[in-house]
Amino acid sequence: MRLTVHRRHLRYLTLTVASLVMACGGDSSSQRGASASPRPDFPEAERSGGTVVVAGRNDVTSANALVSLDTESLQHQIHVLFVTLVRADEDFSPLPYLAREWTFSPDGNSVTFSLREDLAWHDGEPVTARDVAFTFGRVRDPETNYPNPAYFDAWEAVEIVDEYTVRFTVRPTAYPLYGWTRLAIMPEHILGDVPPAELGTHPFGTTEPVGSGPFRFVERVPGDRWVFEANPDFPEELGGRPYVDRYVYRAIPEDAALTAALRTGEVDVVLQPAPAELPRLAADTALTLIEYGAPEYDFIAWNSRRPMFSDASVRRALTMAIDRGALVSALLEGHGDVAVGPVGPWHWAYDASDEPIPFAPDSARSALAAAGWGDADGDGILDRDGQRFAFELFAAPREKWQDIAAAVQANLQDVGIEMSIQVREPAAIAPLVFSPDRRFDALLLGWSRDVPLDDRELWACDRIEQPFQFTSYCDAELDAVLDSMQVVADREVLDALVDRYNDIMAEDQPYTFLYYADHVVVARVELRGATMDSRGDWVSITDWWLEPAARTRRP
Amino acid sequence: MLRFAGRRLLQAIPLLLGIVTLTFVVLHLAPGDPTAIYFNPNIPPEVLDRMRASMGLDRPLHVQYLSWVRAFFTGDFGYSYTGFRPVAEVLGDALPNTLLLGGVSLVVIFVVGCFVGTVQAVRQYGVSDTILTVSSLAIYSMPGFWLGLMLVLMVSSSWWPDLLWLPVSGMKSVDHEFLSPLGRLADISRHLFLPVIALGLASAAGIARYMRGEMLEVIQQDYVRTARAKGLRESRVLIKHALRNALIPIISLLGLFLPLLIGGSVVIEVVFSWPGMGRTMFDAILARDYPVVMASTFLFGVLVVVGNLLADLLYAAVDPRIRYD
Repeated sequence: MRLTVHRRHLRYLTLTVASLVMACGGDSSSQRGASASPRPDFPEAERSGGTVVVAGRNDVTSANALVSLDTESLQHQIHVLFVTLVRADEDFSPLPYLAREWTFSPDGNSVTFSLREDLAWHDGEPVTARDVAFTFGRVRDPETNYPNPAYFDAWEAVEIVDEYTVRFTVRPTAYPLYGWTRLAIMPEHILGDVPPAELGTHPFGTTEPVGSGPFRFVERVPGDRWVFEANPDFPEELGGRPYVDRYVYRAIPEDAALTAALRTGEVDVVLQPAPAELPRLAADTALTLIEYGAPEYDFIAWNSRRPMFSDASVRRALTMAIDRGALVSALLEGHGDVAVGPVGPWHWAYDASDEPIPFAPDSARSALAAAGWGDADGDGILDRDGQRFAFELFAAPREKWQDIAAAVQANLQDVGIEMSIQVREPAAIAPLVFSPDRRFDALLLGWSRDVPLDDRELWACDRIEQPFQFTSYCDAELDAVLDSMQVVADREVLDALVDRYNDIMAEDQPYTFLYYADHVVVARVELRGATMDSRGDWVSITDWWLEPAARTRRP
Repeated sequence: MLRFAGRRLLQAIPLLLGIVTLTFVVLHLAPGDPTAIYFNPNIPPEVLDRMRASMGLDRPLHVQYLSWVRAFFTGDFGYSYTGFRPVAEVLGDALPNTLLLGGVSLVVIFVVGCFVGTVQAVRQYGVSDTILTVSSLAIYSMPGFWLGLMLVLMVSSSWWPDLLWLPVSGMKSVDHEFLSPLGRLADISRHLFLPVIALGLASAAGIARYMRGEMLEVIQQDYVRTARAKGLRESRVLIKHALRNALIPIISLLGLFLPLLIGGSVVIEVVFSWPGMGRTMFDAILARDYPVVMASTFLFGVLVVVGNLLADLLYAAVDPRIRYD
């Protein structure tokens, strides 16, 4: 699992946890838009040039892969400014990048990487085994406070064999090389002398980064933009010089201004516009939609320590009472699917024959009645042993969560449950939910997911006192399944385990899984070659090119 | 005059100390600390603890408070939690942009406000006066953020003429550095256009109301009648004799409008992605980036104090009857 919850309000409480997009063509991005006519083709030689501008809500905070916490920073590190040891293909199998090749020892306890010898830092120094060993050393040093240590839990020791060969001792896991696809290699010759505790404040990350990737750092205006230029020396074998001359990332926090900037021509690509804007944007012939199944889900967590939520049949009834299909069509403008469990269609092991629990208020009422909830005092609200079925839902102050909360409130009202909505800042919710006595009833939230499906922090019985096990739901079989999922490498066995995981979740509903939203990006039609998938929006940035007419910007 | 300015600045110290104290108390009363927003199941608690320690949040509250007071006197507010940079650098980057936006807005507010107010006074109860009165009242009642959003939607809609193209975000175009010096000036002016309107229009309407009243009063004075009797041209009477006197009380309003501008900049800078203090502060508050919140609140306080002082000094400069000795 990894963190993508950003410090800014617009994406609060959406965590990236885990996703594996394996094979299946449906996972890669699909482009659609109102433009019916195909774009003219241009030969390879005419594709170079121009500046492409991408706008998102959040700024890139740091180029330093050892300390940054947000998705935008990580994506720019691994796809734009630096190289990683290996990169992932669409199926999340490792591909050569800085490492030309690698071999696992027969017992699987060590792996040797042979590095490319033609990659240089943008200041001219070669990228060598020392940089890899340095990066790994800092990741493992607690003083660094690297935010995703779980990626390298199984990685124990490093040895520099020669200038371009490096060997690691490692324990076998389900996805051994995954962490290396998510960590940019940092320059030892620049950061080697910096004490690990001071890496976070070193200007390398913010004002003077020196990269090794397809784009070079040009300039940063904090809170506004990062400017990069094509690296002409990037090895041909890795894609060579990118087509565009310059790439600019801009942070535009306001929803209306974000899409307006696309229409005024200030930007070429907008990441995740507000869903309400999508129909209007999709109808614009100058724009095209790029979308893929986002490895994430939104949910309502039920505190099972509360008597009203301790019973799985009651939690299932709650899910049945909520019209999740209406949320998908109204809130996401149809760009998503009703959720079954924590593992969605983006995952290769997702079982497409799984049906989500249907919207069935009548069945919900009878299930609640069977669990002892009736309306003895005739006030329209269910009660049991003199206790009314009334509770509070915590939701963050973002429009999306308010809309969901209001819809859920109306749905539950229909089956005789009184839900009040408590709007709170995430930083205010956290201490209540994380406290050992779990001071909440229900919580509206979203997780994003990461390739190794390690969800033990959320469900494992032995973590019941840990902050994120806040539902206090615990199941011995689930524990065994989750443990096995971490070590089994065989895809068939893993498939069965993931299916079982989803089935248990669907059956017990410790969360009401709401939906799997699509990740939607809107681009001007003149931007070509942009494909995106759950590896990230920048995965193909070296292949992006602008039609000649779009290379001069107004004014 | 100098002694007056010095005394005022000394008086500002307890005020600013009060601001720092209040900010500290409010920040720590709000539940959740800066690490609480990292809602990530996979960040081990030890990592969070070390983060907290590196932010100095593991120290007792009074120690933290004293270190803020020290920061207040030394000006060293440490490092931004989320920006990975010294606070001085964060604010140093943002402050000029806010001053630019605020300064241009202030000029526009006064020029437009005074002009409109004068026109209204001269054409009292005429058609133009009535129209301007109604519209300035309407504009005065518009919240800046709403006006800002409406402007953004307007210039980005399909019917907006290409000729009047205006950017809706940021301060410079992406090709800014390739432009000629004149082109750069034009580029920044174009980016300033909408934020200045959103930030200043309501205040300009307010000034217009004041100016109309002041001007009406001055126009009826004996010396204006004398000027007219001398046979001076009407324009000369208005500008040299009436306007200059009517402006004196308006200048004292300068100090009044500064806090309004600074407060407004928080919202306007977010709407127009303006890389200034307001946006920095907004982001910092949401991220519980204590050092940046403390320092920017402090700096906003300084701006208001200095602005008020300037207004007082300016008042003395334009009105010889006022002396601060």
